[in-house]
Amino acid sequence: MFNEMKFILNFILLFFVLLKPLEVFAEEEILLGLIPEQNIFKQMDRYKPLAAYLSEKAGVNVRLTILSRYGDIVERFISRGLDGAFFDSLTGMMAITRLGVEPAARHTNPDGKATVRSYIFVRADSKINSVKDMKGKKVAFVDRATATGYLFAIAFLRENGVSDIDRYFNEYYFTGSHDSAIYAVLDNRADIGSAQDTIFNMLASRDITIKKELRVIAQSEELPETTLCLRKGIPSQIKKRLTGILLGMNEDPAGREILKKFGALKFVEAEVKDFNPVFSLARRAQINIREYKGTR
Amino acid sequence: MTALSKIQRQAAAVCLAVISFFLLSSFQVFAADKKTIGVIMTGDIPYYSKMHKAFTARLSKEGYGDAQVLLQRPYPDQVSWSNAARKLIAVDVDIIVTYGASVTLAAINERTSIPIVYAGVYNPDAIGITGKNTTGSISKVPTSSLIRYLKGITNISNLGVLYSDIEKESIRQAKDLEDISKDMGFTIVKINIRRAEDVRKIKAAGKLDALFLTCSASVNMSLNAILEIARAGKLPTASSMKGENNSGVVITLSASPEEQGELAAERVVKILRGAHPNALPPASGKNIELIFNLKENMEMGFKIPMGLVTEATKIIQ
Repeated sequence: MFNEMKFILNFILLFFVLLKPLEVFAEEEILLGLIPEQNIFKQMDRYKPLAAYLSEKAGVNVRLTILSRYGDIVERFISRGLDGAFFDSLTGMMAITRLGVEPAARHTNPDGKATVRSYIFVRADSKINSVKDMKGKKVAFVDRATATGYLFAIAFLRENGVSDIDRYFNEYYFTGSHDSAIYAVLDNRADIGSAQDTIFNMLASRDITIKKELRVIAQSEELPETTLCLRKGIPSQIKKRLTGILLGMNEDPAGREILKKFGALKFVEAEVKDFNPVFSLARRAQINIREYKGTR
Repeated sequence: MTALSKIQRQAAAVCLAVISFFLLSSFQVFAADKKTIGVIMTGDIPYYSKMHKAFTARLSKEGYGDAQVLLQRPYPDQVSWSNAARKLIAVDVDIIVTYGASVTLAAINERTSIPIVYAGVYNPDAIGITGKNTTGSISKVPTSSLIRYLKGITNISNLGVLYSDIEKESIRQAKDLEDISKDMGFTIVKINIRRAEDVRKIKAAGKLDALFLTCSASVNMSLNAILEIARAGKLPTASSMKGENNSGVVITLSASPEEQGELAAERVVKILRGAHPNALPPASGKNIELIFNLKENMEMGFKIPMGLVTEATKIIQ
């Protein structure tokens, strides 16, 4: 009787001992931040299936959180206890420089490129053709902490003799997302806009009138596409697992389906050196990236 | 005594003449300084009323608060517009100010040498309002943007376009919509609204998915009746002329009427101070408002377009 009891107790003990790591594993969660590249509803719609796929394949709950604005993104990465974030090229570079986050993967666009450009654009019927014509006009930037929605424009303006945008323009403002900057110019709410080419081209491909009504007057060199960067110190097996799943998505029919909805062909490995063009752009804009907060 | 009286009389006469001269000349100076501004505002439309309020306020701010403003409010038809312009020319006002394209064209057609300053003209170049002793403020907004936002609320196969065939700019806007419809894949059904009773034509126009109100005085004068029909038929509405705060139009993309009035006043002041209208290029409105009437949208049972909620400069709840 005693032996039977002992056996049962040992069995229960063994059961809990065996279960313990499973519990830890089940509670494991990865929190990833999203920059407000497009309006937050569209952004969530775009990334949710990807997070679900990662959760399923990795066996961990991958949760998303929108970083409501670009500025202070580095500080908020820490305060929100993020494990990683899908950064654009400028915020990615800021996070690499200051937090030591490690680039993991970035996606390639339908044209096969894993890079983006910044566009400076006006309405097609606008009389603005050069920086000289921009004097006294109204500009819609995306955010101070974006390369494609601000940094390139500042570098471009500096190289064309404009060092003080407060004086040069009648008004400028920040729309918070690339699509909003595009719609602001389309609606005539701004004379000039600066935004990312992929968002611009995506909207133009869905609506032919957008292509007809806007005119690109300057574009940047190629900059890295949105990159998943993981925090310094994240267990290497988790980093490997997540990166591996992303890099293999295009080999899996379910993964391909999600990539298609996401607007990507595949994910490719990302490295710190991919961000070199952003360093060069920051120098041209005379911005010290180590001190730059992306806010006024 | 008599000789003295004669000298006194002569002195008094000289004094009187001098005083009269000064009084008269000062009156002439005063008469020359007090300016008369003729204003033509067709229809009883909030958009123009807001414009006029901002215009007079700016005029006062610039030191012309004592200017005499002769306001003409003709009914929206060609004869009334011409008569209003003729009256102002007959009293020889210093400047004629016009709100909207139709009255501007009517004033130009009178071939007066009096400078004309317009406000709230959608696309002056397209309808021949250029040079000719005129300047003013342009209220153009992209019609395609309004359609884009409208399509975010409901699928559009047939768009009812309310216009007036006697208002050149309204015809032009209907034509723009016809061009856009080819790219955006819908058909337009033009409905001519000249008088209040013409709104009945909306019901007779067949199946419509939404209504577009062009920048016509006649259309906007019948706004309440149009909106009643729109509500009953669950037709979302779009307009490029800002109305009252809760007018019931679902989407409005409009140049600010206040800014239009102020821009016109700036030009009037410069002309009164000696500038020639042709030396003052027309100014485009910078303050473009995108107003979304969420309340009306929900009452009609349409989905909430998140893109529009994000972009709107004002949401009516």
